[in-house]
Amino acid sequence: MSTNYFPLLSLLIWTPILGGFLLLFINEKKISLIKTIGIIFTSIPLLLSLFIIYIFDSSSYSLQFIENRKWIENLNINYFLAIDGISILFILLTTIISSIIIFFSFSEERSQNNKFISLFLFIEGLLLGVFCALDSILFYIFFESMLIPLFLIIGIWGGPNRVYATIKFFIYTLFGSVLMLVAILYLAFKANSFLIFDFYNLNIDLNTQIFLFLAFLIAFGIKIPMWPVHTWLPDAHVEAPSSGSVILAAVLLKVGGYAMIRFLLPITTDAGIYLHDFLIPLSLIAIIYISLVAIAQQDMKKLIAYSSVAHMGFVTLGIFLVFNLVGNNQFNHDIADIGLQGAIVQMISHGLISAALFICIGIIYSRTKTRMIDDQSGIGQVMPVFSALMIFFLLANSGLPGTSGFVGEFMVLIASVQSNIFYAILASLTLVLAASYSLWLGKRVLFGVATNKIVLSMKALRNDELWPLLTLLILVLIIGIKPELVLNIINESTNHIIYSITDKT
Amino acid sequence: MYWSALIIIISPLVGSLLLLFKPFKTKISTSIIGSISIAISMFLSLLFLITFLDNPEPVNTFTVYTWLESSRYIFELGIMIDSLSVFMSFVVTAISFFVHIYSIGYMDKDESYNRFFIYTNFFTFSMLLIVFSNNFLQLFIGWELVGLSSYLLIGFWHKKESAIKANLKAFIVNRIGDIGLILGVCLVFVSSQSLDYVNFFNSLSYLDNKSINILNFNFQVLPLIALLLFIGAAAKSAQIPLHFWLPDSMEGPTPISALIHAATMVTAGIFMVARLSPLYDQSFYVLDIILIIGCFTAFSMGLVALVQNDIKRIIAYSTISQLGYMTAALGASYYSFAIFHLMTHAFFKALLFLCAGSIILKCHHEQDISKMGGLRKVMPITFITFTIAGLSLIGLPMTSGFFSKDIIIEMFNYEGHTGLYYMLVSGIFFTTLYTSKIFFKVFFGPNQLDIKESEENEREHEDTIIYPLIILAVPSAFIGWVLFNPILFSGFFASSITDVVRTETFYLEYIFSPVNFIGHYFFTLSFLMLLLGGIFSYLMYVKNTALTKMIKDSLRPINNILLNEYGFTYLSNILIPKYSRKFANILWVKSDIKVIDDFFINGTAKIIFLISSTIRVIQSGYLYHYAFTMILGLVLFLFLFYNF
Repeated sequence: MSTNYFPLLSLLIWTPILGGFLLLFINEKKISLIKTIGIIFTSIPLLLSLFIIYIFDSSSYSLQFIENRKWIENLNINYFLAIDGISILFILLTTIISSIIIFFSFSEERSQNNKFISLFLFIEGLLLGVFCALDSILFYIFFESMLIPLFLIIGIWGGPNRVYATIKFFIYTLFGSVLMLVAILYLAFKANSFLIFDFYNLNIDLNTQIFLFLAFLIAFGIKIPMWPVHTWLPDAHVEAPSSGSVILAAVLLKVGGYAMIRFLLPITTDAGIYLHDFLIPLSLIAIIYISLVAIAQQDMKKLIAYSSVAHMGFVTLGIFLVFNLVGNNQFNHDIADIGLQGAIVQMISHGLISAALFICIGIIYSRTKTRMIDDQSGIGQVMPVFSALMIFFLLANSGLPGTSGFVGEFMVLIASVQSNIFYAILASLTLVLAASYSLWLGKRVLFGVATNKIVLSMKALRNDELWPLLTLLILVLIIGIKPELVLNIINESTNHIIYSITDKT
Repeated sequence: MYWSALIIIISPLVGSLLLLFKPFKTKISTSIIGSISIAISMFLSLLFLITFLDNPEPVNTFTVYTWLESSRYIFELGIMIDSLSVFMSFVVTAISFFVHIYSIGYMDKDESYNRFFIYTNFFTFSMLLIVFSNNFLQLFIGWELVGLSSYLLIGFWHKKESAIKANLKAFIVNRIGDIGLILGVCLVFVSSQSLDYVNFFNSLSYLDNKSINILNFNFQVLPLIALLLFIGAAAKSAQIPLHFWLPDSMEGPTPISALIHAATMVTAGIFMVARLSPLYDQSFYVLDIILIIGCFTAFSMGLVALVQNDIKRIIAYSTISQLGYMTAALGASYYSFAIFHLMTHAFFKALLFLCAGSIILKCHHEQDISKMGGLRKVMPITFITFTIAGLSLIGLPMTSGFFSKDIIIEMFNYEGHTGLYYMLVSGIFFTTLYTSKIFFKVFFGPNQLDIKESEENEREHEDTIIYPLIILAVPSAFIGWVLFNPILFSGFFASSITDVVRTETFYLEYIFSPVNFIGHYFFTLSFLMLLLGGIFSYLMYVKNTALTKMIKDSLRPINNILLNEYGFTYLSNILIPKYSRKFANILWVKSDIKVIDDFFINGTAKIIFLISSTIRVIQSGYLYHYAFTMILGLVLFLFLFYNF
């Protein structure tokens, strides 16, 4: 472990939070000042994260940019930050999406802009904290506290039914996290340390592992979300303002998947192997059942929300398949690796695509003031550039090769064929289902003849709407055409995880 | 060699991107960029073909770049140059070049002229990606991109309700096939640890006896892979039961119909099976399935074509039927015959569609042939070229279509598949009928639409529309004979398709020479069917009335079945969408809302609320309540612990 003395990660985490505090003291009427501050305080972490990935050594799985300080000495809790190949990707996703949100969010009109932007800066900082923290209590604090800004965003700037949605969202996720805290405390007393990496070497008997596993699974399963604890997500999305939906779908959900890779895989391996026959069907249900439910939706945002759940089904499938492949006699290390990497790529890809789709829906909503599919048709006639972009993202959402949507699904499918082709047959139904709900949405909203007066009077895309979409488009294409760029970064780290859990069994 | 092949593939893509970013704004620049980029590919392909005809080289593969690297696995995109890919790339680029030239005139008045060429160039690029692929991954990528391009092109007129329905249908049906394809590809990877064609072919003998367990049934790996991949091929090449997207795809602009049906897209499935001939040679029962599906498609879809009245739909069903012939040839393991028919069919079918486009344009976008008539004098060039293409389609001796189709039919006779042979032979009869139906109804009889004859110096259409017709008429008539020996029986495909021994024996025992093949034809059932077809069509469409009416009346029930296309139309347009939506709705309302949300989530909240509201009563906040409870408690305790 190399120790870097310049606290890059702390800087990364606390700059946006500082910016957030700063914004609270600024008059809400000074839009341009708010905008400048917002952009500056998201650009700094963006540039920092780009710099970090530039000097990041992807040929090694060991932790980098380590910062370790005593924090609560009595309890041996540390302020421990470090990153590996997996965290750096999510950090990059967070900084990119946050910058895009700050840029985009000024295209919508709202009151109290300073507080709105400052809450987003808080979320950004806390998310970055989650991805950097390797002390379990520090992780827990970041993990929990990021709910608060989102709670406020939906609660203050949300739609008419926002109170129900926020309470549901908050209690749902809080319920899970409490269980996680219990599990963490148990592990910490056992390991006599709160560092996540110290948990990895513990020898825990299977029964205890199963309890720990379920506690973590509920916490992260709600976050990601998995079927059947997904129902908070569509409600939260529908009520959230567009920017809120973007950060929720693009990054917040990924915390669940990231935490699964950090906690479930290495700590409770045996329990995972024991339970995989029960876990994989959950993911398959998410893929098939939720996709079908998505087809039935009338509200564009709900449709994309359900599609998120279905896509996260592929993420959990990829992760759980690792258990299956490790537990299998004909274990194939490298294919388990492909599955895990597929899950990670799928998370990154979904982060980009769902962000773009929620921005698209935001753009439509800001013009027509309705999200109902039936109220619009023929938008392509009035906004050709926008429609082309939206169709592109819908196609990417349905996993078209050449876009990032394909890569993760393909890798997870390979892993599932290796483990049991029956799983693969079920999972591959997504090809038809995702195409159905995505393109049917496109057909009803973008194509056809515009009859609605509101649609006919829609204004063309403005720059602050166009550029976020173009940026995302380029990223989606780059990952789709050359996924090697992403895989290079995570290769060593995922390899290490797989090796370490194979050694355990 | 590597660079030329790369240029062949990339050039259409570059053209497409150039048009997308529009450095030049004029219409002419669009036409030039659009066609030149394809022309470059075409000339290079032609050069390749000539070189290979001289001296077929062994298989050459190159890696272009690494797509993905995961631990010890490397996924690469690459190029495979062999006689098969060269031959296909010639067909694809030649057809698409002439379609491009034709479109310059045909799409002239369309407001989205530029967009059209972006799509078509991209379409050609995606197809070339498949053709030159050296691995399964690239095959799948190209496969999906072809699907995407067809989606965009069929829905090109995005305000037209029927068009946007058709393109959604096409994409989703193709996606059903893609499920098979992707599973097959994954299975290839898992079983041979590589997606490279060559590696996979080398591991075939090792995989021969391997089997895989699905739900306690054991399946042999190779036939399973072959079957899964064929599902993909069946969807792309419109074989029963995944064919029903194709007739609807006629909603796109006519040049696109030519492109989809002749050169790109539908031929992809046929090409893939031929490309993987070593695999299919070892998967016996799958070949039988392919054989039966092919014959069935060839026969039944020819019948459906008979009852249609839309000129494009007739030709579309004819395409499905002809693809059935190719599939049948594949199923009989005569892969090169399928590829050969694919080639001649590409030329005469493209020509037929372009003629249809020319007719439709002249008739002001009327497509119903029963409303047309007497166009012979109005559009002589279209008339002549259509005749050539039509004769080639029905397989008049010495035309291109004759050599390619009849050899498949005769091969069935030779191989002794008697039942299937009769099925394919009777197909000739129907082919002749529906072809003459268009022929007579469009070009003869009264000029119902009152289309004026062209003036002395005026052509029937612009040059860009007319010349492609004339040029394509040449290969439609002659290419079959010219390439019959060099392609089929001189070992041209020796290094890429595994049926060389079979075809050689067939030639030595049955064909002897092209001239002999023609001579022999007049003593076969096929000729009888052609004659009968000719006589019947003369009676039905020229002499008319009495006989037609009698036949129509007596066959009314069958007619209805055919009009409904054996129920597939109903199934795909009404039944499946309706019930899947219903099912989805039930899942959402009953399961998601009622069970999970209302019962579990809000139910839990309600119970907690109930409990807490009951308990709340006790905590009233009044001092005398608390005092009273305290006293009550004290008394209770006294009674409990006091020993009386």
